Amino acid sequence: MRCQVWEPVSCHAVLKKFVQKVDETVALAGNPNVGKSTLFNRLTGLEAITANYPGKTVELNVGVAKHDGKTIGVVDLPGTYSLDPASDDQWVARRAILEERPSVVVVVLDASNLQRNLYQALQLMELGLPVVIALNLADHAEKIGLKTDYGKLSKLLGVPVIRMVASRGEGIEDLLEYLTKRHIGPTFPEGIPFERSLERAIDTMEEAIKSDLPEAPLGLAPRALAIRLLENDSEFMELLRQEAHASRIVELAQQLSKSIAAEYHEAASLVIARQRHGLARQITEAVQVHADQPALLSQKLMHYAVSPYTGIPIATGVVTGVFVFMLGVGGILSDGISFLWGSFASPIIRFIVTAVFPIRLISQVLLWGVDAGVLAALSVGIPYVLTFYLILSLLEDSGYLGSVAYLADTVMHKIGLHGGSIIPIIMGFGCNVPAIMGTRVLPTKRERVLASTLITLTPCSARSAVIMAAVGFFAGWQYGAAIFAIDLLVIGAVGWSLNRLLPGKPAGMVMEMFTFRRPRISTILKRTWFRFRSFMLLAFPMVTIGSLGLGALYETGYLQTLLAPVNPVIYTLLGLPAVASICLVLGILRKELTLQLLIALAAMQYGPSASNLLLFMSPLQLFVFGLVVTLYFPCVATMSVLGRELGRKSTLAIMASTIALAILIGALAYRALPAVGILS
Amino acid sequence: MPLRDAISQVLEEYLEAIWRLQERSGSAKTGELAQQLQVTPGAITNTLAHLEKHRLIARKPYRGITLTDKGQTIALRVVRKHRLAERLLTEVLHMDWSGVHDAACELEHAMGDEMVRPLEKTLKEPTTCPHGNPIPDESGRVREQESEPLSNFNPKDKAVLVKVTDEKPDMLRYLASLGLMPGATVEVQEKAPFEGPIIVKVMGATYALGRSVASVVQARRL
Repeated sequence: MRCQVWEPVSCHAVLKKFVQKVDETVALAGNPNVGKSTLFNRLTGLEAITANYPGKTVELNVGVAKHDGKTIGVVDLPGTYSLDPASDDQWVARRAILEERPSVVVVVLDASNLQRNLYQALQLMELGLPVVIALNLADHAEKIGLKTDYGKLSKLLGVPVIRMVASRGEGIEDLLEYLTKRHIGPTFPEGIPFERSLERAIDTMEEAIKSDLPEAPLGLAPRALAIRLLENDSEFMELLRQEAHASRIVELAQQLSKSIAAEYHEAASLVIARQRHGLARQITEAVQVHADQPALLSQKLMHYAVSPYTGIPIATGVVTGVFVFMLGVGGILSDGISFLWGSFASPIIRFIVTAVFPIRLISQVLLWGVDAGVLAALSVGIPYVLTFYLILSLLEDSGYLGSVAYLADTVMHKIGLHGGSIIPIIMGFGCNVPAIMGTRVLPTKRERVLASTLITLTPCSARSAVIMAAVGFFAGWQYGAAIFAIDLLVIGAVGWSLNRLLPGKPAGMVMEMFTFRRPRISTILKRTWFRFRSFMLLAFPMVTIGSLGLGALYETGYLQTLLAPVNPVIYTLLGLPAVASICLVLGILRKELTLQLLIALAAMQYGPSASNLLLFMSPLQLFVFGLVVTLYFPCVATMSVLGRELGRKSTLAIMASTIALAILIGALAYRALPAVGILS
Repeated sequence: MPLRDAISQVLEEYLEAIWRLQERSGSAKTGELAQQLQVTPGAITNTLAHLEKHRLIARKPYRGITLTDKGQTIALRVVRKHRLAERLLTEVLHMDWSGVHDAACELEHAMGDEMVRPLEKTLKEPTTCPHGNPIPDESGRVREQESEPLSNFNPKDKAVLVKVTDEKPDMLRYLASLGLMPGATVEVQEKAPFEGPIIVKVMGATYALGRSVASVVQARRL
């Protein structure tokens, strides 16, 4: 739900509290990939908190910078191309600025792409906010032969302009000096001059607003509101329609927009956008000289990365490399953590818990949570998720991911998505949780539902471990590979059908292609840390509490009672032994638990030699088990993130359909494979 | 040029304004015309009567005002001058964006017909004004802009965007905020086979556009 507040009050308690604690607040605004987060990290260090607008999945990072004994709250807005409320991130960026009323908006611009970057800067100045411009990536701009006249830019815009290379810390001190020492007033009080006939319309609107509306929504300056209304900004139009005295203003805006459209032969919003671009171009031409340079290595690399003959082999190599690295390094780390935990942490925890709670039932249940549960979170989180984030941040910072998205677009279209959604789906191979969070970058709910559903079917590192260890090791590697292949086919088929079932049309891809850059270690490490932390904050409590709950059911014996009616179904349909159904239920905590439990429970039932799974399960049973584990219901952490991102209804639908799908395909495999002489 | 001498600058303004409105909605309504010319509806009645007397416009009840062939010829000549003047002001004189339209309004009346062709040559035969609107040719024809979907273009092609045939205003506006709007010059950089996406450079930034997007963006080859 969007909160409809008129006064400039924070939508979000975190932000509000935060704003009160510091001497002043500044917001960082800018296009995606201009080094905004790098600047944010430089200013605030690692102690940042993440805030959400209710109902919006776009997150804001807030942190504190200290300079000269003053504390400055820094709000890092989502990277956006404009302030139209066309997408969630743009809506949040605009809302945060209007509601939090930062004392200064630091607009971070990419000096090597000034013209396009200036568009949003001009929009911000139209809002009448005090602005400081940080011209970042200045080193890159200079390298490609762009000379910038900083003084002239500052004079033309009427705002301070700072040369910045945030990754090396250049310009940070200057910025802090500006923020703490000098008073930066609202810029361009007269506004940015549009063409005269447009200005006349703005003036007329402004007069009407001043006389009819004592308080503009969100404390917007009359001129700023006038422009937004002429642009037919749906949000402000809606806000005004709820206002009693504003009907004349709405009418006037519609009338003036019409006559602008008649004069310029295009919609008023386009006329305004065009003139902003024109101004941006004029300013850029006035302050930047371009010296011709030979094509940079990065441009040539880009060509090779996107041309089909070279690009597809490169992408295949990179993706394979990522998985090999992740599973290799992840496997070693996972073993290491389990070993260390088993040798040191676990005995201590066991000792303390059993000493404090002498009743066996209670201590056993608690141990499910604080021993097995914590280990579960750590042994997936650190080896697989952390490793994966590290590689992902590296690829992201280098600018390579755009090429993968470009190459994947054609195929993704067949399943109702576009190239951009390949990135969250690739993330899903590491862990579904961050992958689903990553679907936020997709513009429509339809795409988010589609991508999230497909992600829940993507074999994450935990499921890959089960497939490789249980099926690949005992039944043969070709059967392990077959499960991956079947899974990919299922993903394709589900995507293909959902694309036809879901109302609406697939959205087209519009994605900026960033030039390749040398990745910066500090940026990568910090980004990895932020992502990992937000994953752990979500997954850790879910896994621990989930473990406690299931532990209680298991230790009290209720689980077996509950499962009693299920076992025959599992046996009849899937041909799996009774122990398997307990494993499958407990596997909702995390998927590789199914394998560990299978071995442990089997050992309890059949004696220690049952760690060779073939003693009590046939290769066919192992294959069906691996298949079902891969397809059925995502783990609790995935479920909780799904619930947060898509709502309860979609989550339940996804849950139910994946369970049905897993049983269906498992049952089919159990019957069909022996019939054709495979695994019989 | 007897025709030119016969009518004043004010009448030219009127004909130009009527042409703009007629282009948009088939005819001009008195109220709309007054609004465009920034005068009261009452004030234009006399001038309209004068234009009708010279058979430059036709007025029909409930249908509004339309230009006669004679009126249209004059209007297009003025529009041609206006749009060329805008080009001159932005490209040669690097004039401030905000004043171009009004300055062109002054220039269009001062510009003799003999100046137009040389100016057009100097400006390297532009086909549109800085806003992307077509410049009528010498014979007063508004050239139909030959455009084709951006998806038809190949790497190294340069094109001017003519229009975006997508009805969703959000998409239009989003593309516009990126600079993908009529009049923008794009350079195709890469194109994927099998209905894949296309990479274009516009205003110094590089975007990958899916084929479904590229096929609704109409462009003219340069």
